[in-house]
Amino acid sequence: MAPDPVLVLQRATVAYERDPVVEGVDGEVAAGQSVALIGPNGAGKSTLIRAVLGLVPLTSGTIEVLGRAPQAARRQVAYVPQAETLDPEFPVSALQVVLMGRYPRVGWVRRPGAADRQAAQRALAEVGLAERASARFGTLSGGQRQRVLLARAIAQEPRLLLLDEPFNGVDALSQDLLLVALGRLRAGGAAVVMATHDLGLAHLACDEVCLLNRHQIGFGPIGTTLTPELLRATYGGQALQLRGDGVIVARP
Amino acid sequence: MNLFQPFAVPYMQRALVEVLVLGALAGAVGVLVVLRRLAFVGDALTHTVFPGVVIAHLLGRSLLAGALAFGVLTAVLLTTLGSHRRVGNDAALAILLTSFFSLGVVLISRTRGFTADLTVFLFGRVLAVDRSDLYQTLAVAAVAALTLAVVHKELVLRAFDPEAAAAMGYRAGVLDLALNLLIALVVVAAVEAVGTVLVIALIVVPAAAARLLADRVGAMTALACLLGAAGGWLGLAVSYQVSVDHDLRLAAGATIVVVLVGLFLLAAAAAPLRRRLGRGRVAAEGGAR
Repeated sequence: MAPDPVLVLQRATVAYERDPVVEGVDGEVAAGQSVALIGPNGAGKSTLIRAVLGLVPLTSGTIEVLGRAPQAARRQVAYVPQAETLDPEFPVSALQVVLMGRYPRVGWVRRPGAADRQAAQRALAEVGLAERASARFGTLSGGQRQRVLLARAIAQEPRLLLLDEPFNGVDALSQDLLLVALGRLRAGGAAVVMATHDLGLAHLACDEVCLLNRHQIGFGPIGTTLTPELLRATYGGQALQLRGDGVIVARP
Repeated sequence: MNLFQPFAVPYMQRALVEVLVLGALAGAVGVLVVLRRLAFVGDALTHTVFPGVVIAHLLGRSLLAGALAFGVLTAVLLTTLGSHRRVGNDAALAILLTSFFSLGVVLISRTRGFTADLTVFLFGRVLAVDRSDLYQTLAVAAVAALTLAVVHKELVLRAFDPEAAAAMGYRAGVLDLALNLLIALVVVAAVEAVGTVLVIALIVVPAAAARLLADRVGAMTALACLLGAAGGWLGLAVSYQVSVDHDLRLAAGATIVVVLVGLFLLAAAAAPLRRRLGRGRVAAEGGAR
């Protein structure tokens, strides 16, 4: 018997003031699986991630994380934002950023203890930044900052990991290290959902894909779902058919 | 100038304790205000406690109690109005600031000789602080310090990465209310000493100076507390010396603010120097390898 899925979406729909932002998303993500959310800007990828985090209410349908409502499962879920959205002048070290992932366990009043520091150090080592623990977050490169944020998520010991464009503006070395760290998380039984523009990296990092453009166009194994027809349906005029099977997606 | 001699008299000793405690507390809270870029919220709060002070004065009650009531009321209104999607933070601030402040002015303008009272409320009278005033300030400061201890790391997380904080299950409204209450408590504690207008300087200036010199929240907080307390001490000493030696009356509260701004300018001058030294150190380490 297959184990219970980590994430289940059934006709999940989010609307702001009656305009649907993302509509009718169906799918399941099992432990150790990785799903790429693919679609043009404004397709509803970020909104779907926020819905899985329980930060925006569904107008219809359901989302279950580990058999519970998203709000009730937050301790098991980690979110990795885009590094470039954070203030590089903020006075924190890389290690302090990773330690923030331990706050929900540490609780109010108390400060992170020795065990939390060890977990944070281990997480930094996982992304190849053990040496830069005491560097100020903003002095790191874009790719290194993204790795610090993944380390923070690792320190949360999540069973579901949500990432928003984790490879945007990331150098090749950081990209490889992110892929390795994500692979290790999945091997440890975490499920991964990432929004991405990059079809090549989606192939490397994920085994399933969810094609979105305000509504779900396809959900399934990446090899059979990332087809020219479905990509054209997802991206509309931005997709160019090459000779043979190839499709180029022009970024807006 | 002697930094200790002015504090031989009891009223100067009380004033000193008052400004040391206020300077350190306002510095610590100010760090969160500066990191969240909420200086204007602090400014609004300083104006909205004003009617509370006036009403307490008219009823012959403790000014601090009146300020506390209005401070808490504003913190709650600000958090709820500010999170309303169609009102927004800046409009909520402007509405609360002006309506509360004018309420205070309307109330006090009905009393006789109101300009003298007005001056006291707006600019404080730290040299007239008596023993019970001091105890009240200490009590409010203790509550604020306790609140700060409970939510400090969560407030830093929200300042750095609000999305991740929400994803971890921290409610933005709860944390914002906690910070607004903290600001309100500092304003309330400082009302007697420096008045409602100048207290914002106590909150923002030491933290902004520390921001220029420190690379960690912890170091920034320690430095802001130190600068806040030092500014209070120096300001009192200067205003006392000048009035004794040169027979010039300098308002103590305003002198403290002027000294704080002087410290800020020193920090601004020192910041590029420090950065150059830091770079030199990194280069030296790199060369040694």
